[in-house]
Amino acid sequence: MHFLLRLLGRVLGLCVLLIAPFMVQAQSFDDLVRALPEGKFDDRAKVIAQIAQTGDDRAADTLTALLEGNLHVLKADDSLVVISKRGTQTIAADALSGEDRGVVKKRGSKKIRVNNALRRELRAAIGRLTLAHPDPVRRLAAAEAAFKAADPSQIALLHSVLETEENKKIRGALTEAVAASQLADAEATTADKLDAISVLRKRGDQEALTLLSPLVQSDDPALAEAAEEAVVKIEQSKRLWGLAQNVWFGMSLGSVLLLAAIGLAITFGVMGVINMAHGELVMLGAYTTFAVQEAIRGAFPELFDWSLLIAAPLAFLVAGGVGVAIERGCVRYLYGRPLETLLATWGISLILQQTVRSIFGPNNREVGNPSWMSGAFELGQMTITYNRLWILLFALAVFFVLLFVLKKTPIGLQMRAVTQNRQMAADMGIRTGWVDAMTFGLGAGIAGLAGVALSQIDNVSPNLGQSYIVDSFMVVVFGGAGSIWGTLAAAFSLGIANKFMEPWTGAVLAKILVLVFIILFIQKRPRGLFAVRGRAVDQ
Amino acid sequence: MGLIDRRMGIFLAGLFVLTVAIPYGNLAMSGQPVPSYVVSLLGKYLCYALLAVALDLVWGYCGILSLGHGAFFALGGYAMGMHLMREIGDRGVYANPDLPDFMVFLNYEALPWYWHGFDMFWFACIMVLAVPGLLAFVFGWFAFRSRVTGVYLSIITQAMTYALMLAFFRNEMGFGGNNGLTDFKDVLGFDLQSDVTRAWLFGLSGLALAAGLLIAKAITDSKLGKVLIAVRDAESRTRFLGYRVEEYKLFVFVVSAMMAGVAGALYVPQVGIINPGEFSPANSIEIVIWVALGGRGTLVGAALGAILVAGAKTLLTGWLPEVWLFALGALFVLVTIFLPKGVLGLIEGRQKGQSASRERAAARADGVDLEVRPEELRGEEVKS
Amino acid sequence: MSIQLALDGVSRSFDGFKAINELSLTVEKGELRAVIGPNGAGKTTMMDIITGKTRPDTGSVMWNQTIDLTEQDEAGAARLGIGRKFQKPTVFETQSVEDNIALSLAGERSVWASLFHRRSPAEATRITEILELVRLEDQRSDQAGDLSHGQKQWLEIGMLLAQDPELLLVDEPAAGMTDAETMRTADLLRDIAGKHTVIVVEHDMEFVRALDCRVTVLHQGHVLAEGSLDHVSANPEVVEVYLGR
Repeated sequence: MHFLLRLLGRVLGLCVLLIAPFMVQAQSFDDLVRALPEGKFDDRAKVIAQIAQTGDDRAADTLTALLEGNLHVLKADDSLVVISKRGTQTIAADALSGEDRGVVKKRGSKKIRVNNALRRELRAAIGRLTLAHPDPVRRLAAAEAAFKAADPSQIALLHSVLETEENKKIRGALTEAVAASQLADAEATTADKLDAISVLRKRGDQEALTLLSPLVQSDDPALAEAAEEAVVKIEQSKRLWGLAQNVWFGMSLGSVLLLAAIGLAITFGVMGVINMAHGELVMLGAYTTFAVQEAIRGAFPELFDWSLLIAAPLAFLVAGGVGVAIERGCVRYLYGRPLETLLATWGISLILQQTVRSIFGPNNREVGNPSWMSGAFELGQMTITYNRLWILLFALAVFFVLLFVLKKTPIGLQMRAVTQNRQMAADMGIRTGWVDAMTFGLGAGIAGLAGVALSQIDNVSPNLGQSYIVDSFMVVVFGGAGSIWGTLAAAFSLGIANKFMEPWTGAVLAKILVLVFIILFIQKRPRGLFAVRGRAVDQ
Repeated sequence: MGLIDRRMGIFLAGLFVLTVAIPYGNLAMSGQPVPSYVVSLLGKYLCYALLAVALDLVWGYCGILSLGHGAFFALGGYAMGMHLMREIGDRGVYANPDLPDFMVFLNYEALPWYWHGFDMFWFACIMVLAVPGLLAFVFGWFAFRSRVTGVYLSIITQAMTYALMLAFFRNEMGFGGNNGLTDFKDVLGFDLQSDVTRAWLFGLSGLALAAGLLIAKAITDSKLGKVLIAVRDAESRTRFLGYRVEEYKLFVFVVSAMMAGVAGALYVPQVGIINPGEFSPANSIEIVIWVALGGRGTLVGAALGAILVAGAKTLLTGWLPEVWLFALGALFVLVTIFLPKGVLGLIEGRQKGQSASRERAAARADGVDLEVRPEELRGEEVKS
Repeated sequence: MSIQLALDGVSRSFDGFKAINELSLTVEKGELRAVIGPNGAGKTTMMDIITGKTRPDTGSVMWNQTIDLTEQDEAGAARLGIGRKFQKPTVFETQSVEDNIALSLAGERSVWASLFHRRSPAEATRITEILELVRLEDQRSDQAGDLSHGQKQWLEIGMLLAQDPELLLVDEPAAGMTDAETMRTADLLRDIAGKHTVIVVEHDMEFVRALDCRVTVLHQGHVLAEGSLDHVSANPEVVEVYLGR
C-alpha cells in the first residue's frame, strides 16, 4: 500500500513537471497569436518571429494557416479562427483551441493579410519550426519538403539544422535538400554543385533525375559532364529496379496461381481426377476465413490479428472434409472415366456455389486484413506490400510441406503407390479406397488453405472459385500433370510473363496472350513443361 | 428408311407438328392461346437443340469432349448480330448511318475493317459458317495433329472460350464490349418485334434443327461415321489401319462448329441480344449436360436433352431461382453416375430388353469412356 | 528374293534407358520370321518403330529398300502396307464383327472417300471370306466387345488379313488361345507367309517351333542370335539370358 502511494506521488509529480513548461509557453503563444491581427506588416513580422521562437506544437500549423490565408478574424466576436472549405460551405475552427465554430457566413470573417516579405518570413519560420520539431517523422517530412522546394534561401537554415540533427535518415534527407537547393542557387560555386550532383546521384530516384536532367545542358562543361554521368547511372539503376519490381509483381501473381493450382496438382496431377469443383473448395476456404473473422469480431475482437492463423486449419478441415465427401460420394464411382468425372464435379461446383450463396448471400463479403498484413515497405526503389509478401511465403510454405508429405511420409508413399499401380497396392494390403479419399481430401484441404490467403486480396463472393478454375488448370497442365515441381515452375513463370507483358498490352490482353500461349504450348508438348516421359506414358 | 429410323422419325414428326402448331396458335387462332413470348422461347430451345446435336456429333461419335462449343455458337451469333446492327442504319440513338451506337459512344472514327460487308445479309450468312468453321479448323488442326486428346483437349477448349470471352469483353475489340450487340430493329426489312417475323424465325429454327439432325445422321451412318466411332473407342488401332485420325477429327469438328454457328445465328434475332457472356465456360459445359442427359451418340437424344434442360431452367429460374443451380448441379452428378446412356438410352434399353451382361460389356470397353448403343449401329449394317 | 524391311543401326532411348540399341535386322519378302526375347528386350519398341509410332534416335528403317519408314506416322506406315496385331487384342468393341472387318478392308482411307463410300459386292464377298477364314461368320452381327478373348484374337487376325498388308507384324497371337487354336494360328501364319511377309513376336516356344521358321533373339535392344530355333537354342548366350532363366 505504502509502495503504491509513493508510486502515485511520483507519477503526479512527473505530470506536473511535464505540464508546467507548456503552461507557461501556452500563455505566451496564445497572447502572441492574439496579437497577430494588430499593427502593420512590420509589427506582424516581429510577432511571427516570436511565435516561431515559442516552439509551441501549434505554431507551425497556425503559421501555415496564416501563410495560406486561412487565418481569419470573426467579425462577430473578433476571435481568431482557421477556416476551411467543406463543399460549398466555409467552416471555422478556433485558432487556439481547435474548437469547432460552425459555418461562417460570407463576409462574416476577415482575413489577416500578409505581403510577399511576410510570406518569405513565414516560410522560413515554418521550415525552422518543423525541421526542429521533436517528432522525427515531422522532421523527416520537413526535410523532404525542403528537398522538393529546392529553394536556395533555405540553405543556411538547413546547414544550421544539420549541425544539431542526429538522426541518420533525417541527416541524409537534409543533405539531399541542401544539394537540391544548391543546384537551384545561381550563386553556388561549381565545386558545391558538383558535390550536390554526387549527392543526388546517390539518391538515384525520379526526383533526382528531374533535378539533374536540365543540368546536362549546363554551360559549365564540368557540371554538364557530371550531370550526364549521373543521369545515365540513375536511369540504369531505375531500369534495374523497374525490372525487379516487375519480377516481384510476377512472383506475387505466381504465388496466387501456385496457391490456386497446388491442390489441383494433387487431385489432377497425382490422382488424374479432373476436379472442376476445385475453385469452389478455394471459395469454401475463403468463406471459412470470413466466418472465423465474424465470430472473432463478435466475441474476441482482441484476437483479430490471429484470425488468419485460426482460420487456416479450419479452412483445411472444412475444404478437406468436403473433398473427402466428394470423393466418397461421387468421384470414386467414376475412376477411369475422366470426362464423366469432369462433368460430375462441375455439377458439385454448382451445388457448392449455390449453397454458399444461399447461406452468405450473393454479394461480396468483407474479409479484413490483420495489422501485420497491411501496409508496405520500401526495398530500394521497390514497394513491397506485406500482404503480398506473406502470401508468397505462405504459398511456398504450403508447397514444401506438401512436397514433404508426398515424398517423406507413409501416407505420401501410399498415395504414390496407389496412383502408380492400384492393383499391386491393394494386394500389398493398402486400403486403396481410404488412400483415395485421403489424397483427394489433401488436395481439397490445400485448396481451402489457398482460400484463406486469397481472401486477403480478392473479393470473397460465391463466384470466387470460378475465376480461378481455368487459371489453375492451365498452371497444372503447363507444368506437366504429375509433376509438383512443374506446377511451381509453371505458376511463377506464367505469373512473371503476365506481369512483364502488362505494361505493353494491358492486363486483360496479357492474360489472353498467356492463355493463347499455353494452348499453343500444349500442342507442342502435350505433357507440359516437366513431362513425365517414357514408355508407360506413351502406351 | 435410310436416314430416318424409328427414333428419328418420331422426333421429326413431333418437331413438324410443333413448328406448325405453335405459329398457328400464336397468329391464327382467336384468343391467341400461344403468347408471343412463348414462340421466341421455344425458338430459343430449338437453337439450343441444334447446338446440342452439334456437340453430340463430336462428343458422342468421336469422343472429343469440347468445352468450347459455346464459343462457336457465340461467334455465329455475333456474325448475325453484326448484320442486325448494320441494318439498324441511322435509326440508332445517335442516328449515325455508318456506325452502330456503341461505336459512336466509344468515339470510333470509322467502321473497323472486319465490320465491312456485314451490311449484306448473304455475307453475314457466309460468315456465320465461316468464322466458327475457321476457328475450329485452326484450333483442331493444331490440337489433333499434335494428338492432344481426352481431358487435355477439353481443358484447352475451355481455355479457348475463356480467352475469347475476355477478348470480347474488351471495348477495343469493336464488338460492343460488356453490352455486346443489341437493340436490333429488323432483319431483311421484317420487324423483329412483329409476331409474324418471330413465327418465321421459329419455323426456320425448326427447319435448321431438322436439317442439322439429318446431316449429322448422314455423317454418322456413313463409313466415315464408323471410322469416327473407331477413333472414339480405339484411336491408336484406327491409325494402324491406315486412317489419318487427325483428318477425321478435324472434319467432324469443323462441321460441328459450323452447325453451332448456325444455331447461334438463329438464336440472336430471337432473343434480341448477343454479349460476351455467351462465351463463358459455364455455358459451354451446360451444353454437355444437355447431351449427356438426352443420351450421348443418339443425336435425337441430345436435341431432346437440350429442350428438357432449357425448359426446366426457364420454369425453375422463374419459380424458385434458388433451386435452379442445385437442380442443375444434381443433374450433372446423377446423370453421370446413374444414367451414363442418358434418358434415351434408358428408354430404348428397356424397350429392347437389353441384357445386363451386354450393358456391362459396353461399359467395360476400353478407351476413355464410351457408352454407345450397339443396336443402332448393328441395325443399319446388316442390310448392306 | 528382295529385301522387304531393313533396320540398320537403330537406337532409341527413353529417359536414358536404351530400349533399342544399335539394332540391325533384315527381313526378306515373303519370309516368316519369329522374334523372341525376354521382357524388356525391345520387341514392342521395335514394332513401334517399324509402324511409325515411335521415331528412332538414330539409324534407318528402309521399306522395300526405297522408302524411309522413320518419316512415316502410323497411318502412313499402314498405307504402305504394314499391318499390326497387338498383344492385347484391340478391336472396335462397340461395333459389329462385320464392321470391324469392313473398316479394315484395303481401300481408300481419306475423309471424303469414307463419307461417300458405298460397299461394293466385291467387298461384301471379301468380308464373308475373311469371316469364314477366322470362323466368325456366325458372330458377324454381334458386337465385337461381346466376343471371347480367343475370338477377339481371331477377329484381329481377320482385320489384319482384310488390310491385305505386305508385312504383318504379329504380337503374341497365341496368348489366350487353346492349344488347338494355337496350332491353327501357326498353320494360318505359315499359309500367309510367302504371299505376305510375316514377323511374329512370341513367348510360347511350342508355337515358335510350330512356325518352323528363322528365329531372331533380341536382348537389351539388339540382336543376340539369329537362325533356326535349334540353332539359337544351342547358343549358350541365348540360354543364359533367355531360356535359362
